[in-house]
Order: sequence, then structure tokens, then C-alpha cells
Amino acid sequence: MFPKPIEKSSRTWQLGYQALLPTVMLLWLAPLLAVALFSIRPDSDFLVGNYWGWPSSFEMTKNYGMVFGSAMPRYIMNSFLITIPTVIGAVALSCMTGFALGVYKFRGNLLIFFMFIAGNFVPFQILMVPVRDLTLDIGLYNTKTGLVLFHIAFQTGFCTLFMRNFIKALPHELIEAARVEGIAEWRIFWFVVLPLMKPAIAALSVLIFTFIWNDYFWAIVLTQGENAQPVTAGITSFNAQFRAMYHLMSAGSIVAALPPVLMFFLMQKHFIAGLTLGSVK
Amino acid sequence: MAQVELQGVNKAFGKTEVIRNVGLEIEKGEFVVFVGPSGCGKSTLLRLIAGLETLTSGDICIADKTVTDLPPSKRGIAMVFQSYALYPHMTVYNNMAFSLDLQGVPKKEIRERVEAAAKILQMETLLDRRPAALSGGQRQRVAIGRAIVRNPDVFLFDEPLSNLDAALRHDTRVEIARLHAQLGATTIYVTHDQVEAMTLADKIVVLKAGEVMQVGAPMDLFNKPANEFVAGFLGSPTMNFFHGTLTGKPETPEQGRFSGGGIETGDVRLVSTEKSIGDSVKLGIRPQHLILDDKGPLEGTVSLVEHLGTDTIIELMAADNTLFRFVTADAINVTVGDVVRFGFDPEKVHIF
Repeated sequence: MFPKPIEKSSRTWQLGYQALLPTVMLLWLAPLLAVALFSIRPDSDFLVGNYWGWPSSFEMTKNYGMVFGSAMPRYIMNSFLITIPTVIGAVALSCMTGFALGVYKFRGNLLIFFMFIAGNFVPFQILMVPVRDLTLDIGLYNTKTGLVLFHIAFQTGFCTLFMRNFIKALPHELIEAARVEGIAEWRIFWFVVLPLMKPAIAALSVLIFTFIWNDYFWAIVLTQGENAQPVTAGITSFNAQFRAMYHLMSAGSIVAALPPVLMFFLMQKHFIAGLTLGSVK
Repeated sequence: MAQVELQGVNKAFGKTEVIRNVGLEIEKGEFVVFVGPSGCGKSTLLRLIAGLETLTSGDICIADKTVTDLPPSKRGIAMVFQSYALYPHMTVYNNMAFSLDLQGVPKKEIRERVEAAAKILQMETLLDRRPAALSGGQRQRVAIGRAIVRNPDVFLFDEPLSNLDAALRHDTRVEIARLHAQLGATTIYVTHDQVEAMTLADKIVVLKAGEVMQVGAPMDLFNKPANEFVAGFLGSPTMNFFHGTLTGKPETPEQGRFSGGGIETGDVRLVSTEKSIGDSVKLGIRPQHLILDDKGPLEGTVSLVEHLGTDTIIELMAADNTLFRFVTADAINVTVGDVVRFGFDPEKVHIF
């Protein structure tokens, strides 16, 4: 059996393992712990350089209160208003492109598919200036709509790759059986294929939600100010020209990190890919 | 006019010809089995009839209607797939009701038709289950049920039993035969299993490399194979072939005399009538049709003895190093290395 169960190894190795595991874990989590700890420190701890020591006082309610009293709720709202439409748009579009590319044989099928994939290999930094100019020209600069549209366009490539391969792996006989039964193509998509794609849709939604929620680059390239900026960019507003409020930035970061984590746990049960079991064989 | 008619059907994938000039008539209520080795095009032919593949040339008519250019749904067919292709997210009831529901059949009628089909297939208790909670045999029955509720002109079966284990395969085969007797529906059934073909079919179509080798009732094919391929394909163990020459052709065109490997025949059935005297031919004798005979013309050295319980299969080597088999249901006491002599019934041998 591999890996070898720890109970079967020697006593020294067991002890070493038990000592090493928490150490590695601590090392791993240190940055997160530091941020969490900073979020409950008073402002003065930063100024005196007390980064890793015991907080001089616990200011949890005060810090988090200030975060929620600032423009942060507005930024978080913006994040939701950007992320959710993007997830819906990108996943819906890619379900359709994936179905078309995965089910139908037509000239240029592979070529189109490769174009979707090739888009993923373009380093997005080189698009910074043209995309910013484009959004400015069509009047979408510094709007949530602009950010949403850009994100959908950019994420659909990867989503199509994901969905097309998932649909391709579904038993083709299911679609043929439905065709023989006289089910119209769009109904095959809606009633046969889409229900079977639930695990893929759930997985992709969480993935895209996290991508977009955590996006910082396009947030600062395409938006400014609290009317459109998402939380990732909004956190930096605690940094003024002469003063950085790291305790509030930390508290803001913790708050901003929660939705993707929650999203993951909520959608966890949908990840079971065993839905197609029993269809064939 | 026939229920299903194929006229000069051709199908090529790129440059590979898969179906070559197939013409076929299937009467209403007939159970037709397409049989052949894998890759012979039997499934493709079925998919052409179903409309899942498009013809390269030719015409297909179903129920007096040319369907060549119609989509599968307009052809009045129902198909049962090898992999069952049940909708995994729907219950058994919904699997069967799905297409009727989308066609706008009234709910009450749907319920009646599904329940009737469930009754025929003895699966009334399974209607609320999902396919994942069913055994292979049950899934197969759901797939058949889904075909029945649509009340089609023609049933198409694509190797429906090949995913089942041996015992279940037998039971389901019997059930399909019973079902056909009960419904009397025109059925086209694809299999590579000659036992299924022999037991189920009213008419067998033997295919090889996309061409029809022979069409006929099972026993006609078995007793009067039209060529060496059909002779070798049907029957188990396969027919024995002995090399020799054609030594005589009497007045009757389908008779001939054979000589070779120590065997001399009188006038027996000549299949390849185009051969002339002196041509090299093969003599075909089924293992079941050899007769133990100490004075018989055929001599063989036993190389393998297989006791199957009911039958015993003996593999022998003839003097000219031709391998042949002998099958008998009688108790026989031979061991490897023994020399045995055989005769045969001249009525049951063929010259190819």
C-alpha cells in the first residue's frame, strides 16, 4: 500500500513526523496568521515595530468597526456586483460554446477550440494599455460594466476549454438517444446535457469566483474610486500619502478573503463528479 | 412494400468504404439480425437506418416513406444502445416519459403508456429509481421500455446484450424473443454473437467488410451457407475445411466431386459453382457432422481433448497437417496421440 500508513513506521520516525507536521503547518500559515494578528492590533504596534510579538492591546471590535465604517462595504458590494455577473456570464457562455465544440462536428471546430485555448496563453499584462484605451473609447472606463465585460471575455477562453472537455467526456450515446427520440437540439442541451454538467458548473463557478474576486491587476487598470473599484483595490485606500494603516488593511483583507472561502464550502457538495454514474454500463 | 427497404446503400468515412452497395428488404413484424465480425459495418448499417449517420449514396425507406434525408426523430424508429444511454439524472419513469412529455402528449396518456411498458417488462416497482440504482439487466430493460413507449414502426437494437454477464445475457435474450412475439414489431438487431443471431432471428443478414454475404432464415444459413465465410462464421466450433481439387462436375449445376487429403467424395453440394474441374477447392464439414468410422476416409491424430460436460470437442491433425475438430455428445475415450478415423454424411458437406 502506498503511501505507507504512519502506524507501520518506526517510533522515531513517528515522533519526528508528529513534530514536523505542526512546524511545517505553522510556517505555511505564518503570513496568514500575521495578517490575522495585525487585524486585531492597535495602530501603535506597527509604529513601534511590534510585528510578531504579543499585541499590546486587543482592538478587534475597534479595527473591524472602522473597516465597516469606512468605504469598505461599498467596495465589497462592488466586488459582488463585478464577480457574480462575471461568473454567470462566463459560465453560461462557456456551457454553450463547450456544447457546440464538444458535440457538433463541423469544419473549423478544432481551429476555433484552439483559438479559445490560445487566448489563455497571451500574458494579460501586454493587454493593459490597449484594453484600457478600448474601455475609455467606448465609455466604459471606471465602470463595473466595463470590468465585467472584460472579465467575461477573458475568462470564457479557459471556461470553454474546461466545459468542452467535460462535455466531450459525457457519453455521446446519450445525445444520440435523445436525437432518436426526437428531442430538439436546444432541449438536448437544456434537459440532458446541462443537468449532467452540474459538477462542472459548480467547480468552474467557484474557480472563476475566486479568480475574479481576487483580481487586483484589472481592478486598478480599469477602475478608480469607490463607485466602481472592487475590494482588492479598495483596501489600498487605507494607505494615504503619508500614512499606512496596516491594522485596517489587515482587517479589510480578512473580510475580503471570506467570500471565496465561504463560496468553496457552500459549493463543496456539488463537486462530486459521480453524477453520470449509471448512465452507461 | 417492405417495412424497411435499403436500396444500394453506400457509406464511406473519408476514403474508407464501410458499407458497400447493400440492398435489403425487411417485412413488417420480422426480426432481422445483422451479424458479422467486429468492423464489418453492422453497427454503421444500423446507424444509417437510424439516421445517426448520413448515406454516401443509396436510399432507405421505412414504412413506405423515403427517409434518406430525414432526421432520426422523423423516421418512426426507436433505438436501444449497447451502453443503454439512460438519462442518469432522471428516474426510470421520466426516462421513459421524457420524449413523450416534450412532444406534448397528455400527462394521463404518458402515464398509461409508461405503465403499460413497465408491466410488459416487469419493472413496475422500479419506476421511481434512478439508473444508478439499477443492475445492468434492469437498465437494459429500461432502455427497451423507453423504446416501447414511443410505439415506433421499427425497433433498432445495437448489441444490447454485450454489457451483460453470461447468465443475464441468456435471460434477456429470452425476454427479447418473448417481447418480439408479444409486440410483433419489426426489429433490427445487431450482434457479433452467432448464438443470439441463430436464436432470435427470423432472418439473418451476415455482413463482412461492409458487404452482405448472405441473407436468410437461420437454419438455411446454417445448412446451406452461400460461401466459405458464412459457413465458417456460423456454427460452433467453426466448420472444418480440407484442401483439395474439384474432380468432377455432373449435370446438376450445384453438385461436385472433391478429392484431397485422402478424402474422395461422390457428388456433393458445390457452393462455388464457378470453379471448374481441376481447380483447387475446399471441402467444408461441420465438427458435428463427422462420424466415427474405422474405415472412414479421414484420419487424424488427436492433439487436444476438451470435455464440456454435455459435449466433447476433440482437436485433431490430419495427415496433410490440416487442423480439424470433431464434436460429439457421446462418451468417447480418446487421449492425445490416438489416431482416429472418420466418415461423414455426404448430404452435409459443402465444396467451396
